[in-house]
Amino acid sequence: MDHIDLFAMREQFNSQQILLCFNGPISRSLIEEIGNALRNYLAADSAPTSAAMDVFAVYIEMTQNISHYTRAKGWNEQEAGATVVVSRDEDGRYIVSAGNLIESADGENLVSSIARLAELDKAGLKAAYKEQLRRPRDAERPSGAGLGLIDIARKSSAPLQASLQPVANGRSFFSLRAVI
Amino acid sequence: MNDFSIPSSQSTPEVRSDWNAGHLHMAGDSYPENSFDLFQQVFDWIESYLDQAGAPLSLELRLLYLNTSSVKAMMDVFDLLEAAHQDGKQVAVNWYYDPQNERVAELAEEFKEDCTFNFNIISHP
Repeated sequence: MDHIDLFAMREQFNSQQILLCFNGPISRSLIEEIGNALRNYLAADSAPTSAAMDVFAVYIEMTQNISHYTRAKGWNEQEAGATVVVSRDEDGRYIVSAGNLIESADGENLVSSIARLAELDKAGLKAAYKEQLRRPRDAERPSGAGLGLIDIARKSSAPLQASLQPVANGRSFFSLRAVI
Repeated sequence: MNDFSIPSSQSTPEVRSDWNAGHLHMAGDSYPENSFDLFQQVFDWIESYLDQAGAPLSLELRLLYLNTSSVKAMMDVFDLLEAAHQDGKQVAVNWYYDPQNERVAELAEEFKEDCTFNFNIISHP
């Protein structure tokens, strides 16, 4: 495509009820700024307080997980990009989706741990959360509590969906979708 | 030990200690990517207070949203209070929340489940 058809993009965003989308390198400050915009959009959208809190929390955990991962790998800005979309489905439920490049082996581990979480009910997720909370911090990633995924699953009204798309050089594009 | 005070930022809460009153105040959102630096100061102050003050301690909380990194750090803080309580020291948590925001009360309730000291969750419109 030699030119960008903004009208077509707008039509697509509108028909898919996309509230916010972002694609590119993310930094701590950008995560906060986009989060701030997201809060304003949710308020303008008259989202109930608890739904707005859950959407924001899921957005923060997803983007901070991506940020921790790419920093732990020492990747450069271009590799450290994220694709983030917040939208609504036909039933008016909020959907938070985020994707990033990941080493394929890490991606496969992630997809299988998400599949394990999908089998747990609310009580099972709570038990998993408390167990993870009590686990000693990983020396490799002292800032990451490792709790993010379970927290996202607990705040979702449906099992998390994850997929892995092989790209090149042993890397894949990992994407995660949470329905609030 | 001196009191300390940290103003809030977009992703960090306001924190203020009051040694003479035996209070530590925290208010607002906490979702920094790395919560260690912030919580280390809180942790250090509480440790010194429990060690030296010989007086009751109460955490006065108006915290709202915590990311998982902050949840883990707060759990360490509450564990410190729990250990002091087991030692016979007088400690308490008063966590005020807006009844419009039930997520805050749910968050506080989950922390309370693991504590045997005086942990009050107070509706405060």
